[in-house]
Amino acid sequence: MNKLARVMAVDDDPRIREVLEILFKMEGIDVTVASGGEEALEILEREGDDIDLLILDIMMPRMDGWDVVRALRDRGWTNRLLITMLTAKGDPGDKAIGLDEYVFDYITKPFDPEELVNRVKDFLEIVDAAK
Amino acid sequence: MQAERVIAIGASTGGLVALKEILSQLPDNIGAAVIIVQHMPSFIAKSIVTTLNEISKLPVKLAEDGDILEENTVYLAPGGERHVVVENGRIRLVDGDKVNFCRPSVDVMMESIAREFGPRVVGAILTGMGHDGARGIAAIKERGGVTIAQDKVTSAVFGMPKAAIETGKVDHVMPSYRIASAIMDALGGQRYT
Repeated sequence: MNKLARVMAVDDDPRIREVLEILFKMEGIDVTVASGGEEALEILEREGDDIDLLILDIMMPRMDGWDVVRALRDRGWTNRLLITMLTAKGDPGDKAIGLDEYVFDYITKPFDPEELVNRVKDFLEIVDAAK
Repeated sequence: MQAERVIAIGASTGGLVALKEILSQLPDNIGAAVIIVQHMPSFIAKSIVTTLNEISKLPVKLAEDGDILEENTVYLAPGGERHVVVENGRIRLVDGDKVNFCRPSVDVMMESIAREFGPRVVGAILTGMGHDGARGIAAIKERGGVTIAQDKVTSAVFGMPKAAIETGKVDHVMPSYRIASAIMDALGGQRYT
């Protein structure tokens, strides 16, 4: 049997992290949060095998969302992780060039909680079926 | 029956939602083959086929090298190592450098289909980052095919559709939920109404 699929949400805004944690827990989705790119990479290094879906903010200090995607790609982790951006940034901009294949979806804030949950459930099903 | 007409679809970031919308609306007797290049990590390609089969009236399969292009069948390009082209009515998975940072590339797929099927092609560019598909959609138009781009409102990222539109070779810009009916119209939709 597959282990329960897990989500990691990466956002520098503590309010967003809290909202996502509450939202996903209510839906029975196992969620881990990280406050930035460095912390996200540390967690993935430690328990990456258990995490299936990454929800990534773009505009974060030091390492932004695109830096995180590049780091994941360079470590080969994009071979087993589905990534969606969750961002207030309407246009991905030039830093996203060449990352299409690793970024499966792009959801803009403010987001509709129900739609986000439905999409996350769809994505988790897809990753589960791929195991 | 071997396909004489082709619907070529290119999608990237956010494409799954739009693809589901389109495939759920296409009838099972569309009378054309559907080829999709969706940029994605290769490990989910098979599960995307499963997901699409749940909502599509047309059977969806992963494109394999040597497949004869049959009408009323949807072929999804596997992610990763090779480009997808059509040659002499068959799917070919071919080696090659990334094009527009992408492999498979929508441009490579669409250009081969435009060469092979000329005016008997409907091409659609859906949501996505970057600009893959712009050259391909222009090639389809130049050979007499019909071209469609997803609009900004329903696109998760209006990169690929915008680049396609900027070539001046897109006939219709529309929300994702209208694309299926536009495809049917382009193929001579009277048969299906």
